[in-house]
Amino acid sequence: MIRPVCLPMAVLVALVCLCSCARQAPPPDTTQGPPVEQEIAGEHAGAGQYTLAVIPKGTTHEFWKSVHAGAVKAARELGCEIIWKGPLKEDDRDEQIKIVEDMTSRGVSGIVLAPLDDTALRMPVKAATEKGVPVVIIDSGLQSEDYVSFVATDNRNGGKIAGERMAELLGGKGKVAMLRYAEGSASTTEREAGFLEAIEAAEGIEVVSSNQYGGATTESAYKAAENMLAPLKGSDGTLSLDGIFCPNESTTFGMLRALQDARFAGTVKFIGFDSSEKLVQAMRDGELDALVLQDPLNMGYLGVKTMVEHLQGRSVEKRISTGETLVTPQNMDEPDMQALLMPDFKRWLGE
Amino acid sequence: MSEQGTPRPEHSGLRHTLLAWLNVLGPMAGLLAIYALFALIGPPSFSSTGNLETIARQTAIVGAAALGMTLIMILGGIDLSVGSVVALTTVVIAWLLQHLQAPPTLAALGGIAAGAAAGLVSGLVITRLKVVPFIVTLGMMLVVRGVAKAIAHEQKIDAPLSSLQSLLASLPPEKRLMLVPSGVWLVIALALLVAGLLKYTRLGRHIFAIGSNEATARLVGIPVNAVKLLTYTLGGAFFGLGGLMLFSRLTVGDPTAAVGLELDVIAAVVIGGGSLAGGEGSVFGSIVGALIMSVIRSGCSQMGLDNWVQELVTGIVIVVAVALDRLRHRTNTQ
Repeated sequence: MIRPVCLPMAVLVALVCLCSCARQAPPPDTTQGPPVEQEIAGEHAGAGQYTLAVIPKGTTHEFWKSVHAGAVKAARELGCEIIWKGPLKEDDRDEQIKIVEDMTSRGVSGIVLAPLDDTALRMPVKAATEKGVPVVIIDSGLQSEDYVSFVATDNRNGGKIAGERMAELLGGKGKVAMLRYAEGSASTTEREAGFLEAIEAAEGIEVVSSNQYGGATTESAYKAAENMLAPLKGSDGTLSLDGIFCPNESTTFGMLRALQDARFAGTVKFIGFDSSEKLVQAMRDGELDALVLQDPLNMGYLGVKTMVEHLQGRSVEKRISTGETLVTPQNMDEPDMQALLMPDFKRWLGE
Repeated sequence: MSEQGTPRPEHSGLRHTLLAWLNVLGPMAGLLAIYALFALIGPPSFSSTGNLETIARQTAIVGAAALGMTLIMILGGIDLSVGSVVALTTVVIAWLLQHLQAPPTLAALGGIAAGAAAGLVSGLVITRLKVVPFIVTLGMMLVVRGVAKAIAHEQKIDAPLSSLQSLLASLPPEKRLMLVPSGVWLVIALALLVAGLLKYTRLGRHIFAIGSNEATARLVGIPVNAVKLLTYTLGGAFFGLGGLMLFSRLTVGDPTAAVGLELDVIAAVVIGGGSLAGGEGSVFGSIVGALIMSVIRSGCSQMGLDNWVQELVTGIVIVVAVALDRLRHRTNTQ
């Protein structure tokens, strides 16, 4: 009668011990205060008491590493602390809502948020603002007025720059295709719209495909790109397509891989958005004709800086643009372009 | 809510009672231990009452879906289409609100009905075509996701603001006496109802019997196919309820939402003592399982830990919980 009860009990006790042992890794003095990333450097007095949560859309894209680097840079300059926490499942709206709620509960001084959805994040942002936690929006818009400032690239303009360059490259005639990013992503939808506007304005150019989505990952974008190219291949092995536009890094890279595999890379005018080492290499190899670059480092930097200024009671602009630039094989070696092409995030993140 | 495991009348009464309590207390002790741990090493805000409310609200979606999954897993089945059904429900609710200007209650019922319909289709294929549930629901996962995207034209559907949004919204100060928002109360009430169904009704006993040994259940005259059909449909309705909860949080119909949710829901049931082999599981355990994952999430998040730490911890907890459960079984049968 006793034995079957004793053993599970012992195991339970063991579990509790195991859990507590395993989780006692942080230094013992953590009970004194919130254990957060120690990214403080109290050079400037005044901002030191602020703890800001910086919430990206995801954590694995290089773009977000640059935003992280910019946020760290600002935190070091201003002497505040930041907590960098992205949704566990990339591109999952509910996961991001949970993080905003958690940070609000935690009572951070302010939240710098890149909303995954312009509608779904309204309620948690409103709740945060009502509980006295101000929010600065970065990267993508929010259909709400409950934020302090919106710090982002002018995405429509970015798409427009790409469209105008495409029209120029094609001499105003030909067939183009566009691989969209994901359903409901505001920033990329703006870029896509900007591109299509510029192409329409050029008249002679025909859009043969603009309803395919690459999805959240490089893998899904690669598959979507292959499927998009398949019907455009002629029986003689040529591609009946003159230009391609992709609205972000993962779709650009997925498309590049698909073009390389089918040996079409370099034979079709190809403009992408954002950069990574692979994309820079492709541009050097003549497989990419242009990239529209944002300045994510500046976005992270200005996001944190704007929040600190707001917390210090200074007035801030409601809309702050972080700039968008067209880089081509011709100008890519200029120092300004290099800084944008390969943001030095390792310096700030210590990787 | 202490209904637990396969009924084993051969056990002496006392021993059975003890074991039943242990089954309930095991996951509960784990939950308390994990909570205490984060309260100790996490920021002070973690153990605030406001955060308890947040955890309760964040558990509602997985909790609601886990009610359905508990029934299905006790039956010896599984449903991998949860995430897709949840997404479909948010889309249907948003569509009804937006395009038909349906009253919120009707839209919510419509969404739950869509979930139940998906469950009915799974149940029909499983019982009529005799395909194993894993494969059928794997297929349904894609089919339902496709249907959701088709209805929404591959976009999210913005719905006008309605009373549904207050289901899981943080309580305004004047309603503090409610402790948690109405959506959480709804899940608690339904959990009690399902627990009662499993313990006191014929259907509940039939579900346990089929999960324990389907051939025997058939031989003693239990209408196996009818029970299965009903269970999958009920399960689908609970996934629909989870979808309603998600809609309340997102305020939009999102066909790409809740990818991978099935794993969270199955993990909740398994942590709570459910078995993939069927015949075991409890509503209370599943809810506790869902809470354990929310507490880990909230704790890791508030401590600012990296995502990989959180995934690691949750994964280890799932395996440890199930390993302990197996160990307990071995000692029981000796």
